[in-house]
Amino acid sequence: MIDLDLRAPLDRHPATVLPDWIDWNGHMNVGYYVVAFDKATDTLCQQFACGWEYTRDKIGMTFVLEAHVTYDREVKEGDELRITTQILDHDAKRIHYIHMMYHAKEGYLAATNELMLMNIDYQTRRSAPWPDFAMERIEKLAAAHAALPRPVQAGRLIGIKKK
Amino acid sequence: MLQSLPYELPELITRAPLDTHRSTVLPEWVDWNGHMNVAFYVTAFDQASGAFMRNMGLGRRYVDGKLGMTFVLETHVTYDRELREGAPLRFTTQLLARDAKKVHLFHEMYHADQDYLAATNETILMNIDYTSRRSGPWPVPVTERLDAIWETHKVLPKPAKAGRVMGLAKR
Repeated sequence: MIDLDLRAPLDRHPATVLPDWIDWNGHMNVGYYVVAFDKATDTLCQQFACGWEYTRDKIGMTFVLEAHVTYDREVKEGDELRITTQILDHDAKRIHYIHMMYHAKEGYLAATNELMLMNIDYQTRRSAPWPDFAMERIEKLAAAHAALPRPVQAGRLIGIKKK
Repeated sequence: MLQSLPYELPELITRAPLDTHRSTVLPEWVDWNGHMNVAFYVTAFDQASGAFMRNMGLGRRYVDGKLGMTFVLETHVTYDRELREGAPLRFTTQLLARDAKKVHLFHEMYHADQDYLAATNETILMNIDYTSRRSGPWPVPVTERLDAIWETHKVLPKPAKAGRVMGLAKR
C-alpha cells in the first residue's frame, strides 16, 4: 500500500490532453473530460488500495453510480492538466467526492466532476461494504478534507434560469 | 443572429420523445471491470445530443461551414445498469426547456434487445458563435424548429431522474 497523502485536497494527478481526445470543435470532447476524471478517480482509489490492483487481483471493484460535470473552459491538444480531489462524504459502501480540473500552466478551472462511487463485491457484482483496510484510510482522508470549504460546483441542480 | 442556414435541413421529427438514435458498445469503450466505462456513457449520450441537434438543423455542416458550434455546459449522468461489449443501445431524448441560446435535454439509454434502462443523462447545450467562440442566439430556423419540438415535448411528464442533486441519503 502506498503512503497515505493527507494533503487537502488530494493534489497528485497530472494529465495531458491527448490528440485522440479532440473533437471537430477543436477542443477536448465532453466524453474525454470524463476519461481524464476517471483516471483521477483511480489515483484517489489507490490511496485506499482500491485502484487497478484491487480489481486485477479479483478482490473487488468500484462502480460509479452518478456523475455531474461542469464544463467551465475549453482545453486544447497538448495542454497540461492538474486534477485535485476533495472527499465530500462517505458511508459504509460509498464515497462522494469532487474533482477539479485546472489548466496546469495557466491555472484556470477547466471543469469539475462530482461523483458517487460504490464498492462492489467481485463475485456477485453487487454492492458491499468497503474492506477494513480501505475504510480506515477513507476515514483519515475524509477527516483531512473535512475542513475544506465545499466547492460551489458540488450539489448542483441542472436547469435553464428563467428570466 | 443567423437568419437562415445555407444548406437543406432534414425533415423535422416532432415525435415526443425523440427516439431515432441507436448505437453499439464498442470494444474500446470497455474498461478493466469488463463493462462500458463511465466516460463512454457520456460519449454515447453526446452522440444522442448530436442526433437531437441534427434534427434542429445543426449537424456537421453547421461546424464545417464555420457558422457555429454547440458546447455542453453541464451534464449529469445516472448509471443504472452495466453494459457489455457489443450491446445494442437505443436512446430517447426529451426537451425539458429551451431559451434563446440553450437547450436542456434529458436522454435515456436502453439496452435495445433486453429493454432495460442502462443510464440517464440530463444536459445543457449552448449555441456558440464560430468566430468569437462565445455564446450566441440560435439561428432563426433553429428557433422555429425548437418551438415546434417544444409543442409536442412540453406535455411529456418530467422524468423521475431529472433534477437530481447528488448526495448520500442519511438514514
